[in-house]
Amino acid sequence: MEEIRIGVYICWCGTNISKMVDVEAAAAEIGRLPDVVLAKTYKYMCSDPGQDLIIKDIHSHHLNRVVVAACSPRIHEMTFRKAVEKAGINPYLFEMANIREQDSWVHTDRSEATSKAIGLIAAAVSRVHYHSPLEKRSVPVNPATLILGGGIAGMTAALEIADAGKQVYLVERTNRLGGLVSKFDLTYPDLSSARQLIRPIIQKTMNHPLIRVFYRTEVEEVKGYIGNFTTILQIPEEGETELSFGNIIVAVGLRPFDPSVIPEYGYGRFPDVVTSLQFEEMIGTGRLLTKRGQEPRNIAIIHCVGSRNRKYHEYCSRTCCMVALKFTNQIRSALPDANIFEIYADMRAIGKRAEEFYARTTHQQIIFLMFDQQDSLPVIKEASKNDNCNLIITMNELLSGENIEVPVDMVILMVNMEAHENVKKVVHAVGVSLCGNQFMIEKHPKLDPVATTTGGVYIVGTCQGPKDIPDTVTQARAAAARVLGTIATGTVPVEVTTAFINDKLCCGCQTCILVCPYSAISFNQEKKVSEVNEALCKGCGTCGATCPAGAITSRNFTDEQILSQVEGILAMSFKDQSV
Amino acid sequence: MSTRVNPDLRNELLKFGIGDWNACYHCGNCTAICPLSETGFLFPRKKIRLMQMGLEDKLASSVEPWLCYYCGDCSETCPREANPGELMMSLRRYLTSVYDWTGLSKKFYTSEVWELSFILAMAAMVVVFFLKFLPAMGYTFTRELTTEGGVKINSFAPPDIMEMLDWIMAVIVAGLLISNILRMYYKIVWKYTNTKVSLWVHIREFWRLIFNFAVQPKFSKCGSRQYWLSHWLLMSGYTIMFILIVVYLPWFQTEKVLPWWHPQRSLGYYATFGLLFGLIFVLVGRLRRKSVKFRFSHMSDWLFIVMLTLTVSSGILVHLFRVNGMAMATYVSYIFHIAILVPMILIEVPFSKWSHLAYRPFAVYFQQLQKYAVPRKGSKTTPLWKRSG
Repeated sequence: MEEIRIGVYICWCGTNISKMVDVEAAAAEIGRLPDVVLAKTYKYMCSDPGQDLIIKDIHSHHLNRVVVAACSPRIHEMTFRKAVEKAGINPYLFEMANIREQDSWVHTDRSEATSKAIGLIAAAVSRVHYHSPLEKRSVPVNPATLILGGGIAGMTAALEIADAGKQVYLVERTNRLGGLVSKFDLTYPDLSSARQLIRPIIQKTMNHPLIRVFYRTEVEEVKGYIGNFTTILQIPEEGETELSFGNIIVAVGLRPFDPSVIPEYGYGRFPDVVTSLQFEEMIGTGRLLTKRGQEPRNIAIIHCVGSRNRKYHEYCSRTCCMVALKFTNQIRSALPDANIFEIYADMRAIGKRAEEFYARTTHQQIIFLMFDQQDSLPVIKEASKNDNCNLIITMNELLSGENIEVPVDMVILMVNMEAHENVKKVVHAVGVSLCGNQFMIEKHPKLDPVATTTGGVYIVGTCQGPKDIPDTVTQARAAAARVLGTIATGTVPVEVTTAFINDKLCCGCQTCILVCPYSAISFNQEKKVSEVNEALCKGCGTCGATCPAGAITSRNFTDEQILSQVEGILAMSFKDQSV
Repeated sequence: MSTRVNPDLRNELLKFGIGDWNACYHCGNCTAICPLSETGFLFPRKKIRLMQMGLEDKLASSVEPWLCYYCGDCSETCPREANPGELMMSLRRYLTSVYDWTGLSKKFYTSEVWELSFILAMAAMVVVFFLKFLPAMGYTFTRELTTEGGVKINSFAPPDIMEMLDWIMAVIVAGLLISNILRMYYKIVWKYTNTKVSLWVHIREFWRLIFNFAVQPKFSKCGSRQYWLSHWLLMSGYTIMFILIVVYLPWFQTEKVLPWWHPQRSLGYYATFGLLFGLIFVLVGRLRRKSVKFRFSHMSDWLFIVMLTLTVSSGILVHLFRVNGMAMATYVSYIFHIAILVPMILIEVPFSKWSHLAYRPFAVYFQQLQKYAVPRKGSKTTPLWKRSG
């Protein structure tokens, strides 16, 4: 076995580290550890001279392991891996100790911070001892893309990719394109026509030579991994078709909440209680009449139907407040003398020009009535003959504290956006996780909101969470850009630090298959052992920790490496105590 | 017990000068800054809410609009420029029409045609009375009165007849006003509470009515003292003049010009000074529109000021012409004075802005009654005077 020669570099990070950690004392202490050839400090290790220092030392001192004690590996692990690679060492023979975020930034005692730094560096030193070289791998990318859902999200993404000259397969569950937007009359905040918005997109999608639309089709199962997926579609009247594609965009949308489960509102019992989507249709066809065929004189719009309530959905549906105000504007122009009651819980004006739209609409002579959507929903009942109206809403009005009765002829329920009924089938097919509200989980809620933890699978539009048209379109175009990026590169790197199963130790219990969040493990029926698909594995380590037989090893996180890291840190703390 | 919403109330209230009733978003700054709002009697926000929702009955039983003296702090603090002060002012106009059982108050507040027609009709009646009825009764309005022996005011307008007419008018006006006050009492104290008020409390708290009428202590706590002072001068001048004319006309209206220090003249001078000072203050304020209090003027506000100014100035002219022996000018200005005075009293006191002279002190009295009200059987209401904070 070759001699282990470790070089340790401690970064000052200007004064970020050196102010709280005595870097020279730490270097002296670490320099005494076995196998450590040299321990140096430098003002900025990440700078070019800092990296050059490492490269020069590797050559002149024949180092074969490198430890850098600096900031978080999230920031500069890649920088230093590249530097050691440049000097001819495998990048995985490098380890980083975080003595900034985990030490100098969070402590106030210089001597204690210094001993903690020494412990952290010693741990990295004893760990790097057991590192072994790993090979970087990449897979080719099939330039075709599968898009699930023919609404505005799916079509926008499809057009973006097809316009760049790449093949798109668009799978639509129903027999027409357009999704929910095609059911709207106007859009907020500019009151422009939804139909004029969606029609050209539908036309373009249908006529695009590079987009193939499959109607009345659903995806049952997708096989493969990023760059190389396949599926078999059951197309009505055509039979089976096998498709190969490199990326998947999921844009399956949502469904409106069914308000008949809320007893207070009497939806289904009273014909003049309608949902927001039914009202869209009424206003779109120009028949704004009660079931008896009369013009309504008093119209109530109840907000948060199924939203922000522990019994139904706790989340806010985000767009309904503004849609309700849009209705107000439409009612006001159709029936100038009608009384409009906005029965709301909180007015949420999210998005560009939404607050201005709200402010403008408040001047439309609306009566705003506030209710407690947690504990006391308004109750709709039938009016008596003497009441001169169809329905009576009784409610506790929060801003006045009064119990009031509101005489109305029509009630519009602003129903919540809820996950689609077949969303579970979709996520199972493509390997995406769902949150508690049945919306798909993105890779990072802020920094990577369209990707998922499964490589090559992107989520856009309302299947990721309630959102308006601009945000949906933005996501669709963002996902398309990500897909086109991988197609342009031609290959995608896959994870190096994956798990592997020692088939001699594997007992075939399949526990690992149950816990794997990426569906990367499958069972080999012939050998009766589990096998890892390394293109799908993200190296999270869950299977390795779960395996009762100890048959699974995570590369770069072997038991040896982790235990020696623990030993390193403990050795230093016990040494401190003895002093 | 829930209250029915009247969605059409807002349209009705617009005519009373309510303005943009929907601007308020209920932050509550107005109530926090108000120097007069107190536990159990919170305003203006709560009243604005009732108005927005169209809770007619709740509004009709509200005493709070009369407890507001419009310092304007609320309007200046309002982040939505909803003018809560002016909304309270509009509510006072509305409530005046609610208390009035004849329905005339609403007509006068909401229709210029009604108001002007009434004024012109009354003025015409006065002129006809002087030119036709008095001569028919033997009091000739002829050249003799003007040529010999100075101003024969008592021959032109005999004080006994004038006093009798004064009393008739006073009885009509008082009858209307008292019946409206009873309606106000019914709505505020009697009808809408789960409580009752003992007779002893009614008697014990009665002094507040007199005290608040005479001193207006609440007004003095509201904004700058100069408003209270100018209003008090106006009010005291008006009251003195009213008593002199209605009760002591034969003593007040004499042909002999008494020395200036004689109470007949000095009281008249004080009353005139008080009226003039108050009027000029209000006129300048409403024209400059600098203070929030005077920024918005409803038709009824202007009409009141204009009529009072005309009454006072024609009264001064009568006095000047009479003291200087200008007979014809005295008679003409006298007729003009009465032709303005009569419609003004008839409109303003029972039906319009001036009725606040009764409603405000009565409101303070009723507020006190509400505080000491005890729960009726079966009601769990805690009496206001027992509540803390």
